[in-house]
Amino acid sequence: MRVRSSLKTKVENYSSELIARRWLSNKSFEIILTKPKSFEYEPGQWIRLIHHTVERDYSLVSSPTDPDVALCIRNIEGGILSPGLSDAPVGACFNFNGPHGYFTFRPSTRPSVFVATGTGLAPFVSMARSGVTGFILLHGVHSAEDLYYSSVFKSAAKQYVPCISEADRSSGEHFRGRVTDYLRKNLAPGPYDFYLCGRREMIRNVTFLVDEKFPGSLIFTETFY
Amino acid sequence: MKIYTGTGDRGKTSLFSGQRVSKADVRIEAYGDMDELNSTIGALVASLGPQHSEPVAELQQIQADLFTISALLATTPDSPSMDIIAGIAQEHIEFLENSIDRMVAALPELKNFILPGGHPTAAWAHMARTVCRRTERRIVRFLDASLKIQAPDPYQRVLIYINRLSDYLFVVARYCNHLFDTPEKLWQK
Repeated sequence: MRVRSSLKTKVENYSSELIARRWLSNKSFEIILTKPKSFEYEPGQWIRLIHHTVERDYSLVSSPTDPDVALCIRNIEGGILSPGLSDAPVGACFNFNGPHGYFTFRPSTRPSVFVATGTGLAPFVSMARSGVTGFILLHGVHSAEDLYYSSVFKSAAKQYVPCISEADRSSGEHFRGRVTDYLRKNLAPGPYDFYLCGRREMIRNVTFLVDEKFPGSLIFTETFY
Repeated sequence: MKIYTGTGDRGKTSLFSGQRVSKADVRIEAYGDMDELNSTIGALVASLGPQHSEPVAELQQIQADLFTISALLATTPDSPSMDIIAGIAQEHIEFLENSIDRMVAALPELKNFILPGGHPTAAWAHMARTVCRRTERRIVRFLDASLKIQAPDPYQRVLIYINRLSDYLFVVARYCNHLFDTPEKLWQK
């Protein structure tokens, strides 16, 4: 007798076609793929995209109820997969497997604080598009050009705080500094549910800050390398 | 891909349900021993080799079950994270019991104590059995320390599973000696 034991996520292989590409900034774009009939996922999960012999992991930015699936890609010069995705023709076939990951929203009586750096915002886009509201969102970016999803969060977030490098010269009501600077200076004491997604240095620094300043909080993390 | 985030550099770790706890917490000791048990079963699988595909597949299924149990132990019972974990069901326990019955039917009757050992593969199974017993004690200690009331259902089934797994590993040790044609050494006073 064989029995299946695992966390409640069923990973399968799928095939999909590129429907459209939407540029969000000079370097980032969204690709829209056909949604395979049996593919189901939770906001915050990711897929492993396979093109020819190359594979890379991407969080979904679409809502599970959308008719297709969307990924946010940062075009990395000399990257393994992103340049190919940036000019793949409509109709191009991709294989992927998933859904992967447990970085999903867990309802709670504590306030939720989402913290992202760069395209680590992706799982929060999916959550907001799926009806999650009332959270505080900090988004650390190099320049205002990277704030391409702000319209998604205007109604969903209780507070949306872009944290932009001090070197950026753009105008706008942004916090100048790192996400950790904002947390240290501006977040009221108390226990929160922290959701951290982005570079490991940010995850490490925020985790230590939470240990120090926000005891009793929960921390959920997803690392983007 | 880098596997480190460094969030544990100051003696704390994160549970699956999000809490930050000391690495010396009894809960962490319980799933640390679970990790050791899983690794010891891995050594047993390696010792068996791919030519013994049936017991290897069975042991690897058990290794997957142990990952699930580790996730359960890393989750507080009242957390919504518990909903994400499939947990241990009666069928997992029956899987062990049926396998024990199948192997026992193929073995000579046991009439005396045997010395743990024999073929190196059987010795690995005995090691896994003893680590399993220690893991069970750690889980009981953790449940006694953290729960005022009787352990909730998911943990009750973990206790049954781990208790049965020790019996299973004892029989696997005997089965390995049988498989590799190695006589069992009886205990003599």
